[in-house]
Amino acid sequence: MIVPKRNPDVVWRLEKGLHEIAWDKARKEEEYEDLGVLTLMVKGGIHQLNLVGAEIWTRINGINTVRKISGEVGELFGWEGEETEEAVLEFLKGIEERGWVTLKESAGRGPAPPWKGSVTT
Amino acid sequence: MIPYLSSPVTVNWGITARCNFVCSHCFSRLDPSEELSPEEALRVVDILAEQSVMFLNYGTGEPLLRRDLFPLTSLAVSKGLKVTMNSNGSLLDAVAARRIREAGFHSVGISIDSAMPGTHDAFRRMPGSFEKAVRAARLLRDEGVPLTVSSVICKVNHGDFPALVALAKELGAHTIDLHNFKCSGMGGLNKEALDLSPDEWRRFYEAAVPMRDREKGIEIAFDDPILSLLGAEEKGKLVAGSVCGKLSLYIKPNGEITPCGFIPVTIGHILRDDFGEVWHGSKVLEHLRNKAAAGKCSGCAKFSSCLGGCTARAYAAFGTYDAPDPHCWSGD
Repeated sequence: MIVPKRNPDVVWRLEKGLHEIAWDKARKEEEYEDLGVLTLMVKGGIHQLNLVGAEIWTRINGINTVRKISGEVGELFGWEGEETEEAVLEFLKGIEERGWVTLKESAGRGPAPPWKGSVTT
Repeated sequence: MIPYLSSPVTVNWGITARCNFVCSHCFSRLDPSEELSPEEALRVVDILAEQSVMFLNYGTGEPLLRRDLFPLTSLAVSKGLKVTMNSNGSLLDAVAARRIREAGFHSVGISIDSAMPGTHDAFRRMPGSFEKAVRAARLLRDEGVPLTVSSVICKVNHGDFPALVALAKELGAHTIDLHNFKCSGMGGLNKEALDLSPDEWRRFYEAAVPMRDREKGIEIAFDDPILSLLGAEEKGKLVAGSVCGKLSLYIKPNGEITPCGFIPVTIGHILRDDFGEVWHGSKVLEHLRNKAAAGKCSGCAKFSSCLGGCTARAYAAFGTYDAPDPHCWSGD
C-alpha cells in the first residue's frame, strides 16, 4: 500500500471559478488539460496543476492510499481501475521528484492510460 | 495556462506608513497617507482570507511600529495566510523576535544593503543601523524564524553583492532578495545618485546570475523581468513580465489598492470596493496583463518573455505602462 503525503512547505490553493470552468469543459468533452486549476508555491517558485492533477492532489492527506485516490479519481472521470492507478502513481512519482510529496512505499509500474494528470507550468 | 489567477497569490500591504528611518530610495516616504484602524485592519485580513490569497507581506513603513502587528498576524495565520514582513531590524529585540515566532510569521526579511556597515548606514541614513539589522537577523535565527535578507541594488553596492550574499549565508538566511532599484518616491528624487545605467545593470546581472545558479545553501532572488535579456528568467515564475496585477497587488496604508507599491495608481479600496471586482474588472490591471510593445520593444525578440520589463520603472520614467523599461540595455 502506497500512501502519499504532501510536503508541508508547499503552499497551495484551488483556483475558485477556474476549477468549475475546467469541470464544465470536461463534462462537455472539451479541452481542459492545459487549464491550471490549482496553484502551488514551492521555494519561491509558482506552479499549477490541471484538473486531473488537482483532483489527485486534493485527495492526498497522508492517510489515503494511491488505490483509494485512484478509485475516487477514476470514478470522477469514468476511467478503468487498474490503468487509473498506474497513471495516478506515475503522476505522484513525478511530483515526488519535485519534492512536493513523499511516497511511503514503491510499487511496480504497468502500461499508462492515454490521459494524465499534469503540471501545466 | 489561465489568463490570470482567481485572486492574487501575494498581497503586499503597507500596514503602516510610519517609519523610524528615511532611506534614500524609499518609495513611500513621500506618501503621507493615513493608516487603517485596528478594526479596519482585521477586516482586511478577513477579505484577503475569503479571497484565498496565499501570502500576505507587510512592507512600506516599519511594521514593528504598528501596535496591533502581532494579534493581526495571529488572526491572518489562523485563517490560512502565510504572513511575511520586511523590517529594518532596528526595533527587533529578543522580545519582538519571540513574539514574531509565536504569531506564526512564515518568514521575515531584514533589510541589509551592504556587508560594509558604513555603506549600509549611509544608504539607510541611520548611524548604527547595520549593527541593529545584523543583530535582528541573529535573534530571528535563534528563535527559528525563517529569515530572508532584503537588499536594494544600486550605485552604492552593485559591485559588492558577493560579500552581501556571504553575509546573508552567515546569518542563516534561506534567501537573499537582490531587489532592483526603482525610481519611485525618494528613489525618484535620488535617481541620479543611486540608479545604475542600463549597461551597469547588464554587467551586474551577468555577474550575479551565474552566482545565483551555482550558489549552494542560499537562494538568490532578483524578481526582475529584465533577466529575460540574458535568458535567465527565474524558474517557476508562471507569468511573463512584471508580476504586479498578475500574481500580486498592493494595499496602501490607507486601504487604497494599487497594482504594486511602485505604481501609484489607485484602482480601488480594500474596504469600500469588492476585492474580486477590482481584481477581475480593473481596466488598469487588464492593461498590465495585456501590455503592447512600444518604442524599442516593437520588434524586439525578447518582448514575449519580458513584456517590456518592469512596468513600475517604465511608468515612473515615462508615465505609461507600455514604455520600455529604462533599465533595458537591449538595442542601446
